[in-house]
Amino acid sequence: MLNKLLISARALALGVVLSTASLPAAADSVSDAKLEELQKKLDQSMKMIEALGARVKELEAHTSTGTVAAAAAPAAAPAAAVDPQRLEAVEQKVAQIETANATRQSDDSGLPIHGFADVNTGNYNLYFPYFKGTNVGSLDLYLTPKIGDSVVTLAELIFETGPDGQVGTDLERFQIGYQFNDQATVWVGRFHTPYGYVNTALHHGVWLADALRRPKFVNFEDKGGVMPAHTTGVWVTGAMREDNGKFLYDFYTGNGQHIQGGIVDMQNGGNLHGAAMFGSRLSYQFIGGAADGLLVGVNGFTDKVDDDNPINPALMRLNMAGAYAVYDTDTWEHIIEAYAFRDKDLNGAPGTHRSEAWFAQFAYRARWGVPYIRYERAMLDQTDPYFNEQTFGASYYRSALGVRFDINAKSSIKFEVAHTRNTDRPSTDYRPSDAEIGLPQQFNEILAQYAVRF
Amino acid sequence: MKNNTRERSSLQRSTVLCCAAILTLLAAWCPAEDVHAGVSLGELPQTWHDDRARDLALSTLVGHRVVVTMAYATCHRLCPMTIDEFKRMQSVVDARGETVDFVIVGYDPKNDTPAVWHQYRLSRGLNRDNWHFLSGSQAATRQLARQLGFPFWIYDEHVMHESRAVIFDASGVQRAVLDSQNSRWSDAL
Repeated sequence: MLNKLLISARALALGVVLSTASLPAAADSVSDAKLEELQKKLDQSMKMIEALGARVKELEAHTSTGTVAAAAAPAAAPAAAVDPQRLEAVEQKVAQIETANATRQSDDSGLPIHGFADVNTGNYNLYFPYFKGTNVGSLDLYLTPKIGDSVVTLAELIFETGPDGQVGTDLERFQIGYQFNDQATVWVGRFHTPYGYVNTALHHGVWLADALRRPKFVNFEDKGGVMPAHTTGVWVTGAMREDNGKFLYDFYTGNGQHIQGGIVDMQNGGNLHGAAMFGSRLSYQFIGGAADGLLVGVNGFTDKVDDDNPINPALMRLNMAGAYAVYDTDTWEHIIEAYAFRDKDLNGAPGTHRSEAWFAQFAYRARWGVPYIRYERAMLDQTDPYFNEQTFGASYYRSALGVRFDINAKSSIKFEVAHTRNTDRPSTDYRPSDAEIGLPQQFNEILAQYAVRF
Repeated sequence: MKNNTRERSSLQRSTVLCCAAILTLLAAWCPAEDVHAGVSLGELPQTWHDDRARDLALSTLVGHRVVVTMAYATCHRLCPMTIDEFKRMQSVVDARGETVDFVIVGYDPKNDTPAVWHQYRLSRGLNRDNWHFLSGSQAATRQLARQLGFPFWIYDEHVMHESRAVIFDASGVQRAVLDSQNSRWSDAL
């Protein structure tokens, strides 16, 4: 009888070992540290079974000779002394395992990886209209390793198609910070420059936005944007809450940018001219009342930007001031952002270059989907080296109409039709191969996007 | 003989306990869904604050049926749909003359504060006493999410989550789960 029990226990234990080896999906969800801990406990349980098995064999052997009664009595005494301790130890371990199981993952070790992905198709590439057809889009991996209660980290690593049509890797955000409290968090690293709403509310995860793409001039630097969407530096941010809303603030400084190959580069390793960028954003979010869902703010920065012209390098003082308003509720999402630039060419002619850019987007959140309409306008002084040297620095206007459908909680399909007209450049584009290909002066787009999160 | 019988019994007990330990270990390896199967209200974290910053323990709701979900105040996609579904449940329950408690637990304690929840329910007209909008600690929020099977992660100011609700009967025992695979609540209520 006892032998049968032990055989069953051994078989069960073997089954556990085999099944744990074939549970990659479950094992994936448990950290290596926990894996090791559970392995140890399994080993201990196996040893206990072996010990009990040996004891059973001993008892059976003594019983069969019939001479054990006297020998078993003294032998039983130590066993009786040991068994309660073993039982208590097993009971404690079971209790510990139950507690650990119930509160599993309460310690924040491990590195959860989440992210977003998108693929796009249409008559043009949604960012680079010199390409036509289907675009691989991006795979966005978002990591927030837990270092401690107040230490915060964030990394956003993206595989994406670049202006040259090739898939490359970009560490879009990499920040390590310390959260003092709700009023103040300090970040160091590469972050999204705090201006406007879109640049810090709708990050690289395309699924997150209702619209198929960002407005062109506030898009990321390597996706047609003309503003320094990323900063490598130090950022202090926080919120001060009151009953009907909260004040939000951002102050930051970072490496002055560099224009490389027609694209603004945020100088992840530092810059050569040694100048820094300084900026701030102040806003107020209404909570409750008639203005519930309204967010208004102002922002500005001053920056020094150089370029990669080997013969006549430019050095520009970039000064931006802007304002924005967002109305974000269960039914509406309206976003308006406006920017004014007053730049100086520090190596060239005196005077100030004046440029403006703005967009307005209106969206309605229905149960069946989110239709939206958007108008963008950028009037960029082409005598300003900062805009003139950028591949996508042309003045333009764009009208767009789109809709988002959610297939489920994690995936969506978006459609957009748009008309874009460049108003001051007949043709400008330089691929890395130096083949000059003109950007279309004006073009109509029919675009579709399949975006997911995971 | 009596000593051998006693020894065999104690060995049997030891073997059974070892098997229980192994089974528990096996349970620890299983997917998270097994953790929250059949959990009762009393087994969930109990320290919460409602939208008026009053303490509320979930076990005090035993006696009525309870429907629990998780949401965050600035969610404008899934959470409003869940709230609308709760409103429909409320209408059905009202027509029957019955009482059900609706509990909405905030995913993001930093932002889903009692004051924010208070404004949330005021702006949406969710003012009935049987609706409870709760804020808790980070640890309690994560434990409740884990125990009831609400997977979520935070992307800056956004909470990535799914649509889910758990129904408890009047004795506080979990009776049904509503999600994208099963959204029929009429039988469970």
